Amino acid sequence: MISFRLDGHSVVPPYLQIVQQVRQALRMGVLDVGDQLPTVREVVAATAINPNTVLKAYRDLEREGLVEPRAGHGTFVLRRPPGPPPGTHSRLARSLAHWVRGAREAGLDDESIESLLRVTLQAAAEEETA
Amino acid sequence: MTWLVWRQHRHQAYFAAALLAVFAILMLVTGRQIASQYQSALTSCGATHSCGNLASTLTLGTPLLSLLAAFTVVAPCLLGVFWGGPLVARELETGTSQFAWMQSITRGRWLLVKVGWALLAAAAWGGAVSALVTWWSSPANALNQQRFQPGQFDIQGIVPVGYAVFAVALGIAAGALLRRTLPAMAITVGVFALLRLVIGQDLRSHYLSAVTILNTFGHRMKAPTGSYWLVSQGLIGPGGRLLTTSSLASGVSINGVPLSEMPPACQAVAFQGPVKVTSCLAAHGYRGIFTSYQPAGRYWAFQGIETGIFVFLAAALIAVTAIVVLRRDA
Amino acid sequence: MDPQDAAPLAIVTRGLFKRYRKVTALADCSIAVPEGRISALIGPNGAGKTTLLRLLAGLARPSGGAVAVLGGTPRQDPAFLAEIGFLAQEIPLYRRLSAEDHIAAGAHLNPRWDAASVRDRLRGLNIPADQAVGTLSGGQRAQVALSLTLAKRPRLLLLDEPVAALDPLARRQFLATLADAVAAGGLTVMLSSHLVADMERICDHLILLAASRVQLCGDIDTVLAEHQVLVGPRKDTTAIERDHTVVQATHTARQSTLLIRGAAPVIDPAWEAAGVGLEELVLGYLGQSAPPAIAHLSAVGEDQ
Repeated sequence: MISFRLDGHSVVPPYLQIVQQVRQALRMGVLDVGDQLPTVREVVAATAINPNTVLKAYRDLEREGLVEPRAGHGTFVLRRPPGPPPGTHSRLARSLAHWVRGAREAGLDDESIESLLRVTLQAAAEEETA
Repeated sequence: MTWLVWRQHRHQAYFAAALLAVFAILMLVTGRQIASQYQSALTSCGATHSCGNLASTLTLGTPLLSLLAAFTVVAPCLLGVFWGGPLVARELETGTSQFAWMQSITRGRWLLVKVGWALLAAAAWGGAVSALVTWWSSPANALNQQRFQPGQFDIQGIVPVGYAVFAVALGIAAGALLRRTLPAMAITVGVFALLRLVIGQDLRSHYLSAVTILNTFGHRMKAPTGSYWLVSQGLIGPGGRLLTTSSLASGVSINGVPLSEMPPACQAVAFQGPVKVTSCLAAHGYRGIFTSYQPAGRYWAFQGIETGIFVFLAAALIAVTAIVVLRRDA
Repeated sequence: MDPQDAAPLAIVTRGLFKRYRKVTALADCSIAVPEGRISALIGPNGAGKTTLLRLLAGLARPSGGAVAVLGGTPRQDPAFLAEIGFLAQEIPLYRRLSAEDHIAAGAHLNPRWDAASVRDRLRGLNIPADQAVGTLSGGQRAQVALSLTLAKRPRLLLLDEPVAALDPLARRQFLATLADAVAAGGLTVMLSSHLVADMERICDHLILLAASRVQLCGDIDTVLAEHQVLVGPRKDTTAIERDHTVVQATHTARQSTLLIRGAAPVIDPAWEAAGVGLEELVLGYLGQSAPPAIAHLSAVGEDQ
């Protein structure tokens, strides 16, 4: 069962944070098809957010076809979001960790790594459209 | 709601019950002693036919006990201060009244149950103390015939119940109006004492018109009997005017009229005996002596009237309390 | 359409006002709170928040205007009182009685009473139920009071600064308990507070009071969508004012920042538009009316 961590200071509205965290959990393999999402009451008890926020997030996920509510039982995962299987993520995460170690040893701080990543993503995007 | 009232006040109730129990034991034990003391005194004086003087020769009980009995006159005031004052005021002060009023109970019901139990308890406690004192005093009443006198009248019979109910109602009303416990308690003491004084001293003698005996000089003196209450007495002046003796006058008196109220010439012959004083007074134009009193038979009528007055005042105070509590913002 | 929009109204007032002798504690208050909302009542001290809550609970009588709570006027009627829960800022409980005593009292005084829920909650928060309530900490007392208020299964809960005196953990637990009760269904909540961050998290409806008047009333998402912040070079704002209401304008020598309200888009490219968060919005409205609000502060404080 996953738990949600909501950042009150983020520009992302709370319901969207929940949607993103569910998608992320599905990608990483933390949540699998058929797993039950935490009930609205469980989320609310843990995070002290408005129940309608959770309902809105779950409705969005339902609309995307990722989850389905089963009356009287809860909300269950229907399928994973399109993308590579969870294994890919963990494999890539490992090689990324390896790269980050190398970058640190070379003397890059977090800020430089982040801007390097951003620039690389931008260049790759331009390459794809070209 | 009754459960809540009990739970809030049960320690007060235990304390009052314990106090009453101690008092009751004291009264019952000493009362029996006094009763037997009186009985044996009656038996011995009866044998020698000297019972007429018993009142001046026999002292029943001890001064301390008499003081304790007399002290019960403050019992209603204490009830008013400690039971009445905080009843509503404390809840308004601490805000617990808001808690109660936001349960599914109306303010009216809340007040009714609280006030109802408080007045019932006051009447019961006041009545128990009074019953004990009345029973304890019955030998003294028979001996001294003083029960109609101010002082004894206030602590025996049913008036203490009226006082207790009034005092508690006064405390409750003061608390509801002032919304603070300590000022309410202070006001209760002040107003209660004032009212008791005014009614006891000034109003009581007028409940029923006093009976007046005119004793003109030269005729046989007629005197009231039993436990009557002397309201006023004095000389009958020229033209039949009743010259009331000041109640503050003290010292030697002939037939109830103090020497200090007589013309100096008659004061001078006082040592020669009452006959000389009487003829001296007659020579000065005084016609006789009058006595105004309330007959002994009216004792219970007076008790009833005074109790009724205080119960009526209590009801009025409760009505004011109800209006204030129900209509004012919480 | 969001099914919430058609919800019946838990609270409706029209022109509601309350006067104490010479001071107006609440003026011309017209609000609507749909059922199922958690409404934030925000405003500076003396703005009339407590007055409004007390008028809705029936603890005070209005000087004028109309108020309907759960379809009826607040009145002395056990059935009506059973539907409303009110928690005052001072958290009045009988200090010498224990939580268990309060539970028993509630059982005697209320037609619907869920004693088990109180005991469960207190056990879950490690609050002793057999100790005199006066010996508990402020946070524990607040939790006891909230649990007792919820145990009567009200349909409307009115809370006056319930978390003001609580530490962050107690605050979080309190709000979680509250949100859980709303999630269970059938409950509308209005709570007043200063802490906008907490309010933003748990509330979906907003009533903003300043200078004893209602400045804003509506769902938070809708209200935020109606406002924007414009930043641009210092210039004349008449064009903006034609289509929008300028809530607050701050100027430096070279720059102007405007908080505006209105649906029309801003065409002038000199202005950079951004969305506004709840805290910024509240500060904008409160800042704009600060002097009169402060004048009202001292007057109301003295009279009460």
